[in-house]
Amino acid sequence: MRARRLTGSLACLVVLTLTAAGCGLSGGSDDGDATAGGCTVDKGNVGSGKLTGDVKGKITFQTTNLKKDFGDFFNGVIKDFEKAHPGASVKWIDDPGDATFTQRNVADAQGCTLPDVINLNAETATALTKNGYLLNLGVKDPSSGKPFVPAFWKSSTMKDPKGASVHTVFPWYTGGVLLTYNTDLLKKAGIDPDKPPTTMFGLFADYEKIAKSAKGKYYATMANPIWRIPADWDQMDIRTLSADGKTATFAEDPRTTEWVAWMAKLYKEGAMPKDSLSSSNDPSTPYSQGQVAYGSTNPSFVRFVKQNSPSVYAKTGVGQQPFDKLGHTTGAPQYIGVSATSKNAPTALSFAKFLTNAENQTAWCKDPSVVIFPTTTTSLDDPFFQNATGDDAFAQSRKLVAEQLKTATAYQTVISPAVQKAIVSQVQLAMQGKKSPEQAVKDAQEKANELLKQGG
Amino acid sequence: MVTDTAKPVSVPGTEQPVPGTAPSRIGRFGRALLPGPAPGANGAALYRRWWLPWLWTAPAIVCAAVFGVFPFLNTLLLSFTDAKPLGGAASFVGWSNYTRMLEDSDFWLATRNSLLYALIVVPLMVLLPLLLAILVEKNLPGIGFFRSAFYTPVLASSVVVGLSWQWLLADEGLINTSLEKAHLIKDAIPFLSDSWLILFSAMGLTLWKGLGWYMIFYLAALGNVPKELHEAAAMDGAGAVRRFWHITVPGVRQAMMLVGTLTGIGSLRVFTEIYMLGSATGGPGGADRTLPFYIRDVGLDPLTGNAGYGSAVSVALFLLTLGLTLLAQRLTKEDES
Repeated sequence: MRARRLTGSLACLVVLTLTAAGCGLSGGSDDGDATAGGCTVDKGNVGSGKLTGDVKGKITFQTTNLKKDFGDFFNGVIKDFEKAHPGASVKWIDDPGDATFTQRNVADAQGCTLPDVINLNAETATALTKNGYLLNLGVKDPSSGKPFVPAFWKSSTMKDPKGASVHTVFPWYTGGVLLTYNTDLLKKAGIDPDKPPTTMFGLFADYEKIAKSAKGKYYATMANPIWRIPADWDQMDIRTLSADGKTATFAEDPRTTEWVAWMAKLYKEGAMPKDSLSSSNDPSTPYSQGQVAYGSTNPSFVRFVKQNSPSVYAKTGVGQQPFDKLGHTTGAPQYIGVSATSKNAPTALSFAKFLTNAENQTAWCKDPSVVIFPTTTTSLDDPFFQNATGDDAFAQSRKLVAEQLKTATAYQTVISPAVQKAIVSQVQLAMQGKKSPEQAVKDAQEKANELLKQGG
Repeated sequence: MVTDTAKPVSVPGTEQPVPGTAPSRIGRFGRALLPGPAPGANGAALYRRWWLPWLWTAPAIVCAAVFGVFPFLNTLLLSFTDAKPLGGAASFVGWSNYTRMLEDSDFWLATRNSLLYALIVVPLMVLLPLLLAILVEKNLPGIGFFRSAFYTPVLASSVVVGLSWQWLLADEGLINTSLEKAHLIKDAIPFLSDSWLILFSAMGLTLWKGLGWYMIFYLAALGNVPKELHEAAAMDGAGAVRRFWHITVPGVRQAMMLVGTLTGIGSLRVFTEIYMLGSATGGPGGADRTLPFYIRDVGLDPLTGNAGYGSAVSVALFLLTLGLTLLAQRLTKEDES
């Protein structure tokens, strides 16, 4: 009796599993419709040929956590657009940008309901492009890149499903990157705050000087390499991935091992708090408390220190990010994409261009409550960015970033969190002395390749 | 069959309130809503309809099917595919996810950590709350304060508790600073940078947060242990330890089994404690990752996660949990017999 019941239950389980299999794995439409990312779309949205059509109808526009502080600005932009195009209307959605932001976008993409115009970070834009969910702007509107700083536009490409580099996003705004430091602590270590290093290893040498002078009373920076991989390697022009993004190549550059050896040495010598090796705390708080010499590399951070720790702000200096072998910085901007599944793609594209045009970018980036920089040539030429006055760190940081953006590119290596963690884990082991730098780099590449092979 | 024909018999659809009976027992459609004394032959027949039990249990069955059975079957199915969040239709890959899992050193490391967690936390979580419950069981003046104090960690959010523990265990945190001031240590104990210490600290956090919760279980169970047994044993000269092992423990045996099972399942599912103390990498080198942590890393990244492989590891975790639970039950039964 018992055996019969068990057999019955197992049979039910198998039937249900197979039923679910039927539901879950059916896929693909073979009826010849135009498709993008598995969704049936208007034929004009994909393939070759410019996008044509009237600017009319309803579209949705999604930003990430901007409504609270910039509601008036964006409502004004939408109103102006609707006034210029009487048949069009824009519904603004502001995603809270919390931990499930990406899951929501993925669910929207899978459900073929991505917002028509969407604010994206590099990771999400890369994944959506790879799976064909974004409009190919370079094909659908070849002249749409003209307003942007040439280096920025040229480097704002992602790989499409076939592995080709395509323009699926407009670079919208960027925060810039620079060195922020406590000039008092640097002077104690014999470092001249007015002469920031120009290479990453030069910066590491300064960290070492701080470790020697501080003797555990304060630190140079935080230990967790997750803050530096792959940004440092990008700056050093170390190729983390191959050109097609399918294999890891960083171990082939001897400077990677040298970089890991430096990190291990600095950790051992006390340039970094020991308990920050796998901590998720960035330097913001300890810097504001005068416990670390170098702060975050974000100009917004300077404003954070100014507001929260005036005494440390008074000692804060800023310097140009070491350009190292790359020769310029990578802007890591926020992007605006147009959904390939849009029912009113001409309107969506028109709004995306309107939102990112020089006039609107300049207006927003001048807002005193933000420290962001525009990506159009005309905006960056605005005296507001070129003629920053004042000697304080905040004014200097604006000036430095405006200067670097003239040559900056948007390019940054995008690796999945799984690949990043696999690399970081091996570097952590090297920093603890559990592996040699050579072995750690070799193992990191092997692990990264395993994950990349699985599609990670 | 003997029936009491003197009592009024109600016919479905025609009932009238009978003087002396509670009108609330008769529904709008003349049907009995609450079980009551002898609803009569037809009422009893109504209760015997084959579909009635299904009707009452339908909401629970639907919930279990939608939120339990279907996700489980879907996970089982996905474990045989190469499903990705944005990869379009998935393809069957046979047993390859399971083969990969068995060859994956990170999977075995996570399994070791999960098992170690269960082996250490479960016995302590079964015993310590019982001792705590015995301590606060007596109705002494001010005992309410201690009961509340022990229960407070249960109410605190895991994230808040995790942050507090980070501050406690940091190199310059309360514990290290106190030990240094007392000249008991020279260098800080690396609670947050040594992988073993992170794992043991996380176990401590789990215990600290769970003690109050299971103490409540035991307080209820201790109420059912006859006081007379303790009194009689005491008169016969049994000491406190002997009474604990021979009267208290057998008296709360069922509660101990329940606590053991629940903490066993909970220990195998631990994630937050490791995340809070070992950060996103699961400790330096990922050495403190448990199975749920590993599942998150390999399968749940919203953009690039490998849902197929993550599902295979989930199935392994399910089998491990089921196996340990059945083993515990078998051992308990053998012990009882």
